[in-house]
Amino acid sequence: MARLARYCACLVLAATAARAEPPAADAVERGRYLARAADCVACHTAPGSAEFAGGLAMPTPLGRIYTTNITPDPETGTGSYSLADFSRALREGVAKGGRYLYPAMPFPSYAKISDADMQALYAYFQHGVAPVKQANRRSGIPFPLNFRFPLLFWDAMLRRGPFRPDPGRDARWNRGAYLVQGLGHCGTCHSPRTFTLHEKALTERDGPDFLAGAVINGWYAKNLRGDKDGLGRWSEADIVNFLKAGSTDRTAAFGDMAEVVQHSTQYLTDDDLAAVARYLKSLPPRAGEAAGLQAAAPAHEDVRRGKAWYDELCMTCHRGDGGGMARIFPALAGNDVVQTADATSLVHIVLSGGRRPRTQARPTAFAMPAFKTLNDREIAQIVSYIRTAWGNSASPVSAEQVAKMRATFNDAEAAR
Amino acid sequence: MSCASRDKEGGALRQALTAAALAAGLLSPALAQTPAEPKPQPAPAVKLAPPHIADIPNDDSGKQIMLGMRLLAETKKLLPDNVASALNCDSCHLGNGRVANASPYYGMAVNYPRYNARAGRPVTLIERINGCLLRSMNGQTIAVDSAEMKAMVAYLDWLSAGLPPHAKVEGAGVGKVDANLVPDAAHGKQLYDAKCAECHGSNGEGLKNAQGEFVVPPLWGDESFNIGAGMARTYTAAAFIKSNMPIGYGLNAPLGQGGALTDQEAVDIADYFTHQPRPDFPPKVNDWPKGGRPKDARY
Repeated sequence: MARLARYCACLVLAATAARAEPPAADAVERGRYLARAADCVACHTAPGSAEFAGGLAMPTPLGRIYTTNITPDPETGTGSYSLADFSRALREGVAKGGRYLYPAMPFPSYAKISDADMQALYAYFQHGVAPVKQANRRSGIPFPLNFRFPLLFWDAMLRRGPFRPDPGRDARWNRGAYLVQGLGHCGTCHSPRTFTLHEKALTERDGPDFLAGAVINGWYAKNLRGDKDGLGRWSEADIVNFLKAGSTDRTAAFGDMAEVVQHSTQYLTDDDLAAVARYLKSLPPRAGEAAGLQAAAPAHEDVRRGKAWYDELCMTCHRGDGGGMARIFPALAGNDVVQTADATSLVHIVLSGGRRPRTQARPTAFAMPAFKTLNDREIAQIVSYIRTAWGNSASPVSAEQVAKMRATFNDAEAAR
Repeated sequence: MSCASRDKEGGALRQALTAAALAAGLLSPALAQTPAEPKPQPAPAVKLAPPHIADIPNDDSGKQIMLGMRLLAETKKLLPDNVASALNCDSCHLGNGRVANASPYYGMAVNYPRYNARAGRPVTLIERINGCLLRSMNGQTIAVDSAEMKAMVAYLDWLSAGLPPHAKVEGAGVGKVDANLVPDAAHGKQLYDAKCAECHGSNGEGLKNAQGEFVVPPLWGDESFNIGAGMARTYTAAAFIKSNMPIGYGLNAPLGQGGALTDQEAVDIADYFTHQPRPDFPPKVNDWPKGGRPKDARY
């Protein structure tokens, strides 16, 4: 009997060894989870096209670039990549064959991915994703700017390194730090950049620019630090709710963040979300700079007309007292998102409208209509009213600022 | 486009339409004299183009108009003695009565007095407002000469200023559904739970804010409209929800409303929620004294 048991155990071991080439199913599943945490699908899938087959256009100051096929197709995708090739692409931004990737790929963040997670991601992208034959598109960056070797210098200026845990903090905080800095690559949008387009900070150790808010794609990716217009007034539970359901009692994800919630964060486990929240809430306010919360009162007539436009166009959903409807339509009163020093997102959503993420927790993706038929002055009046009514105290916005932003958004739309 | 220039265009458009309506009116006697059988030409519908709230005059007359607008939007809060349900006029007349197919107020002032089959006689605008207070708001009428009634009428008059008498407005009413569709209330309940309950509550109880004020109206129960309200009728309610529910659903200005339901789905949902328990309306015995009772009337 004992011999039979030993024999069976050997059989099992042999079977495991035989499967070692295609990795264990749980590695593939873990890789699937990590790929969601890293939101690979957001950039590597073009609308209406196969998942991970690339081809999404990304406007850059130099011209349009296209994301690449990362399905395991051996010719057009990453099927021929070894783990080392795969890891080098993710961590160092160098594709197999030595070509430098454009830094639209957040490899400065992915450099922090652990070896174990890298192996799981590799397992998933080799065995959990269907191969799709789809050749990569050439970039629209003109000669001679399309030479990639200068990226070497860009790369050399980068302070990149593996994730460094902080032994003075608990495991949950460190898990959150790892997710935010690495897979989540939150800083790609939320950290300001230098004129060379490097993120000014890649971790909390790099100082108060880390996740201090930045304009990208015509949206202001908000400050995630402890400022009043950051996450200072959010609880950890608010952050978890927001990332899981796409909304809290006060606010809702919109713009590009709606897609992040829909494709990525809603799938994170409660433990991981709690870790992200713990870490973000530990970031102190950006020192030295006054938050956007200072009111230079708009002119009386602008206030009167702003309120009238609000009553006409906004009040049905956001309510007369700016209180919104909990978890359905965001509150505007006391909402830090409408009081950021940089009003880009607020103006943008009034012009273009937006849709909340569709999540398992909240399947109805409520939307806000587009009000682009309003003129610049009218939008300035509405936005200024919202930023100063009900105890809100952010600076008013001028018609000239709206005109400038409208032109930027129109350019961005045209470039898509 | 500046606000003023748009208003000028809106005004020009209204003038043109008015001229067209007058021309049609002048032509119709001529048409009547032709040997063919005379057909009265219906006046062309006027585009729904209400003036902007920002252009309410900034003087005493404007104050009265603004008060009227607020009374219609916050009826429960401002007229607690007259409103027994949790509803406001704007619960059914969405967006200050400026929105197509959301029972707009625009055009109402020039269409009253008008014959009302339910009353069996012509009713005035003031009687119509009081009718809503009695039925949709399950409450009490307010005095004809009260400041509140005058203010509400002032807002309605201001909205329709410049419209010709009896102007037909595009988007007046609540839109249409096929009244031959047979409702399926069981399916309606399923749809209600999936698509409506997030805002209106699983028991039709509506939604309150942190201060305990309703922000989404209850659809049945003691605090909803009574059985005498137009919204208690299956096909009226179905047309309303097809045109308007949910709000904030699409990118279409002004409210992102509608576009979520087929006619059949709207009829199913409407049949389910209108037939839930709600307050009675004893004076219902006087309704439709001369006949003409619609098939979906509840009594």
